[in-house]
Parts: sequence; structure tokens; C-alpha cells
Amino acid sequence: MSEPALLTVEKLEVVYHRAITAVQGISLSVRKGQIVAILGTNGAGKSTTLRAISGFLGIDDARVTDGSVTFNGKRIENRQPNEITRLGIALVPERDKVFPNLTVIENLTAPFAPAHYNRRDNEVLAYQFFPRLAELRSRTAGLLSGGERQMLALASALVCRPELLLVDELSLGLAPVVVQDLMARLVQIRHELGTTIVVVEQSAAAALNVADYGYVLENGRVVLDGEGARLRAHGDIQEFYLGQTSSSDRRSYRSVKQYRRSRRWYG
Amino acid sequence: MQLAVNIVVLSAIYALIACGYVLIYRVSRVLNLAHGELMMLGAYLLLATAASFAGNPVAAIAAAVVLSLAVGILVYVFLMRKMTGEMVLAAVLTTVALGTLLRGLMVLIWSAQQQYPGQALGFANPAIALPGGGRISTFAAILVVTTALVYGGLFVFLRFGRWGVRMRAAGQNPLLAAQRGINLHAVYALAWGLSTLTGSMAGMLIALDSGLTSSMTVIGLKAFPAALVGGLDSLVGALVGALIIGAAEVLSIQYIDPLLSDVVPFLVLIAMLIVRPWGLFGTREELDRV
Ligand SMILES: Nc1ncnc2c1ncn2[C@@H]1O[C@H](COP(=O)(O)OP(=O)(O)OP(=O)(O)O)[C@@H](O)[C@H]1O
Ligand SMILES: [Mg+2]
Repeated sequence: MSEPALLTVEKLEVVYHRAITAVQGISLSVRKGQIVAILGTNGAGKSTTLRAISGFLGIDDARVTDGSVTFNGKRIENRQPNEITRLGIALVPERDKVFPNLTVIENLTAPFAPAHYNRRDNEVLAYQFFPRLAELRSRTAGLLSGGERQMLALASALVCRPELLLVDELSLGLAPVVVQDLMARLVQIRHELGTTIVVVEQSAAAALNVADYGYVLENGRVVLDGEGARLRAHGDIQEFYLGQTSSSDRRSYRSVKQYRRSRRWYG
Repeated sequence: MQLAVNIVVLSAIYALIACGYVLIYRVSRVLNLAHGELMMLGAYLLLATAASFAGNPVAAIAAAVVLSLAVGILVYVFLMRKMTGEMVLAAVLTTVALGTLLRGLMVLIWSAQQQYPGQALGFANPAIALPGGGRISTFAAILVVTTALVYGGLFVFLRFGRWGVRMRAAGQNPLLAAQRGINLHAVYALAWGLSTLTGSMAGMLIALDSGLTSSMTVIGLKAFPAALVGGLDSLVGALVGALIIGAAEVLSIQYIDPLLSDVVPFLVLIAMLIVRPWGLFGTREELDRV
């Protein structure tokens, strides 16, 4: 367990439009070969964190205003996204994750891959994990179903041969059985390629089943972190994310959370 | 028959120029309003290389072609690159300024007089009799063939070439393209290079066929409706648009009044904009609504 950290995020602060602070001092660390889950409700800052790591902020006029992101010993905050990809980080974003007017094959052709991989290699890699894509080769990506699109997005990110794969909302709008299957693919990718993976999820159940470690974000801060199994067993998580409410009256997420927190505060 | 030949030649001219507008618009949503001037610069470059490679026309043409490619890339690197991420309107206005500047410079350097690069290179331009009774000048014929080759080449490149696919990807979602490791500056520079190259080839061939004056930019401007009628983001559209504009112009010269020639392309454009503002082959949602 003494592997050095592959990715270290320290006291990261991200501001949108010079006004909205979406991430306020998040620190996290990912070791080589781990699958790490980042959990939290809507607006917690999960996507912003991933986008800051991968240099995906530009178009929204967002900036890393404080803190650092270190990958393989190199500082990468505020670098250009294509540079970051070439250093070995690929992101599957929440929305607009494929090129809709390109075919499946073209989506696998466009990404930058290290020079010694040719197109055939890229296809073989994609079909190794997502055989379904082979049947859809010449289909326009915009016409794919949500699940197929997610597969294509993952495959086209893999074409960049990343050391670290960041996946934002793998489960968004997908049926639970599809989510389970995709999570299993992530485990397979880690196993066969040695890729380190960070998944962002709203629904903790699927993510924590495969994650070695997890962070829970709230209002742009880390409020809880721990090993996957421990988080799974944690009371708060069980209540809010896994829906196993112990009491019969369904309290709102916030009130219970507040209660827990104050209890933590006052001892 | 002669009418058909005229239509084909004029359409080929417009098509060869129009694909330059399309290439740049497609990857960066920028209308390059300096395209006509860049095309004319290509023609003057040929004049210049004709003088320095006297007696070796092939070398002169090759040098002019390479130079025009370089011009396009340099325009991107030193001017348009700074506009990446800025408003599209700012970029378009920059191209207007560039066009005005280039036009002024070219008049200063080469004067506004009619010049004949064909003579400078020692080319004759005999007419070829076509089966069916029409006639076409040699360079007009070369221009038609060149247009066909350029379009064929671009189709293959954009469909099968790695960088061609990347250009299309960057046009659809620049941020995702960058995230997939694609260097956007390289893609844009490539688009500017190819656009200026094809535009300059049109300029050179027109100049070889019928001489060169500073009014050549008007032809560049008239090709713009061709690109727009087709929808601006589609090469097939540019081809069809060029055919429509070319036919409309030739026919109105023939049957109505030669004075209409400079107006007709824009009349067609206006009619088109009213009926189908996104163009024949353009994508509807590409439009920023006013
Ligand atoms: N483009 C933007 N401009 C301004 N504010 C933004 C932008 N994107 C996100 N935010 C704000 O930043 C905060 C964090 O958003 P973020 O998308 O990171 O949350 P998230 O945890 O991914 O939520 P979700 O689960 O809904 O995807 C939110 O308050 C959001 O309103
Ligand atoms: Mg999100």
C-alpha cells in the first residue's frame, strides 16, 4: 500500500466567471492502480474537480485560483487540455462526450494516440472492452443510445492510452443493469491495462462496489473520505446515498446531515 | 453548348474559392472575409515567382503554391491564433481588417494595372474545341480539372485522413477535441493553410487565364454567396451553391443584361436567406439567431 500517489490534488480552488467558487480547497490523492470514487449531491463540485484536473475548464470561463494538481510529479493545473491528455489523463465528461456527427470508427480515429499505435490497434482496444461497438462501427455517434454512447466515450478516452481515466457520471440516465455492466468494464480495464480510474457518481451504491477509496464532497469541500468498504458501511452514506434509511420518518438529506455534523462539532 | 461550358467554368471558379470559406468556417465558425484578398495575393505571388524563376515555370508555380500555403498558416499563427477563445465577431472583424490591409499593400507593391503572369511564365492559352461545338481556354479547362481534384481530395481527406477527421471533430466540439489530445492550433492552422492554398490556386488560374488586376477580390466576394447558399459548413453544399450561382450569373448575362453579373450572386443569396437561412446543406442548429 506504499505506492506513491499518481495524482495529488491539494487545496484546489476553482472559480467560475470570477465570481462563483465551485470548489473550495479540495484535497485528494489517488494511487497507481486504484479505483477512486468521488461522491456527492448535485452541485457539490464533483464535475468541477474532474474538469480542473483535466484542463476542461476553459470554455466555461472557470479558473483554478488556488492550490495545485500534481500528476506523476508534474504540476498540471491550468495547463491546456491537449497537453494534459498527452501526459496521460483522459476525461469522459458528463455531457457532450462523443462527436455526434462522426461515426463510431471516426470517434475512435480522432483522438490523439501515441505514435506507435495505428487505427487498427485503437479499434482492437475499443472492442476488447466494448464488443458491442464493433457492430456499430459505421453508425453515427449522435444516433447511439445512452449506454452505447457511454461505451464509445470510454473507448475513445482509452484510445489516448491514459494512465489515469476520469469518468464523470458513468450512470447518468442509464438503467441499473447497464451501469453495473459498465462498472464491471472499468474493473476489467484496470485489471487488463493497469489504468488508474476516478469515477464521479451521484448514486454511491454502484461506485462504492468497485472503488478502493472514496471521497464525499459537499458545497465544494471534502466532508468525508475513506476506503470503499468503510464508506459503504458508514451511517451517513447508507442513509443518504444508499437509501437505507433506518428511521421510518424520511428526513431530508440536509437536515440529517446538519444534525450529524453538529453532533460531530459538539462532540 | 457554349453556355453550358461557361456555366461549368464559372461554377468551378466559385467552387474552388468557396471551399476555402467552408474549411475555415467548419472548424472555427469564423467567416474569413479576407479570403478574396488572400486569393489575389496568391495570384500576385505567382507573378513574383515568375519573375524570380524566369524560364522555369514549373518551379515558379510550385514555389507560389508552397508560399500561399505558408501565407495561410502564417495568417493563423500571427493573427487569428490570438483570436481563439474570443468572440467570433471579433475574429470576423479581424479578417475584414486583414483584407483591407492586404488590398492596400498589393496595390502599393504591384500597382493596380492589369498584369499577365501567363505571359511572364511564357504560357500560351489556346482555346480547346470541345465535342458538341463549345470552346474552352486551356487554363479554364485546367481550372475545372483542378476544382474536381481539390474537391475529391478534400472529401477523401476529411473522411479518411486522421487529421481530416480531427478537423471535423474540432469543428463539432473543440473542447472535447482538445481533451482527446488534439492540438486545436494545429487544426486551425491546417484549415487556414488549406483554405488559402485552394483560394490561391483559384487566383493563380484565373490570372493565368485572363490576367490579374486588383479587382480580382470581387470574384472572391462573389464566391461567398456560393458558400452561403450551400450552407457554409458543407463541401457538397459549396459545390451545389457554386453551380447555382454560376448558372444564375451566366444565364442572366446571356438573357437579361451583362450589367447584372455582379449583382446576381447576391440576389440569389438574399432569396436563399429568406427561404432557407441555414443553406441548402447546412445544419439548421448551426445558426446563431439574430
Ligand atoms: N459553467 C458554470 N458557470 C457557473 N457556475 C457553474 C458552472 N458549472 C458549474 N457551476 C457551479 O459550480 C458548482 C459545482 O458544480 P458541479 O458541476 O461541479 O457539481 P456536480 O457535483 O458535478 O453536480 P452534478 O451532480 O449535478 O453534476 C455548482 O454550484 C454549479 O452551479
Ligand atoms: Mg457533475
